[in-house]
Amino acid sequence: MKLYAYCLTEGLDTLDHAPTGISDAKVSLFKHEELGVLVSNSEIDVVRVTRDNALAHAAVVRSVLDRTTPLPFRFGTVVDEQQLKSYLTARKSALQTQLEHVRGCVEMNVKIIQQVQNDEPPLPEHGLAPEGPGTAFLAEKRREIIGEERKTEHGAELSTLVREALEGLIKDEQVTLRPAERLVFAAAHLVERSSVQTFREKMSEAVKRRPELHFLVSGPWPPYSFANIELEFLTQFGVT
Amino acid sequence: MADFDQILVGEEWEGSELSLLETLDHVLNRGLVIAGEITISVANIDLIFIGLNVMVSSVETAQEVLRKRELQ
Repeated sequence: MKLYAYCLTEGLDTLDHAPTGISDAKVSLFKHEELGVLVSNSEIDVVRVTRDNALAHAAVVRSVLDRTTPLPFRFGTVVDEQQLKSYLTARKSALQTQLEHVRGCVEMNVKIIQQVQNDEPPLPEHGLAPEGPGTAFLAEKRREIIGEERKTEHGAELSTLVREALEGLIKDEQVTLRPAERLVFAAAHLVERSSVQTFREKMSEAVKRRPELHFLVSGPWPPYSFANIELEFLTQFGVT
Repeated sequence: MADFDQILVGEEWEGSELSLLETLDHVLNRGLVIAGEITISVANIDLIFIGLNVMVSSVETAQEVLRKRELQ
């Protein structure tokens, strides 16, 4: 029998009212020394990405968020008991360090979606005589480069906007800038639980200041974005 | 649906879809990984919504996982 792993926890000895997991399986607490893992029995190795499965995974992880700050496993983590024990033993120190890092915190996300711009200032004319295809090509490249620079500057400006709005509230962050895409800015912020309301208020103020932008602020989440310890048994330990 | 606040300007994004996309973005793209132990199926996926980059990103991640497994 395999185990589907939802999240790593510390300080939990029992589960209170855990929701059912993937495929309506009962969720239990797998204890190994000081660490615990929320698991359910799994008869399958391949987990389908479906609405129900994704929401079940998220609900189980969220179910302990009021009592502790878990480190979520990525969707689809199916292991046998021995593999899980080996994993916890081999990476115990790194896992405890990461649990300590997120302790007392939650993840808040900010995304900025830019609307299609029809009112951008025109790019400068190249000033060259339209002589041949070479000139036209170079002029087009120049416009392209200037356009990219503008997008990059815009992305940096958005990053500054959010950072200044949340100054002093963020313990850690992961920021992704995609200047050329509609989802131009995506950030995950690790925030003390006591600061969540202030976080919301600060972001509400930022939203009001920039009505031309589409903001999506979500949270509190379990710290999915801060559980990125890669456990490469094969490469690090030679164990498959 | 996920229990979180949304501050959203504009009408084009419907709330429940965003909640689901945000949840997918978290559970599929992030979290602890035990190498080689994740196998997910995106065939017959019952979520068809390619309106926001998070979903595209999630599907790409899923496909990458599958490709890696095929190579092993």
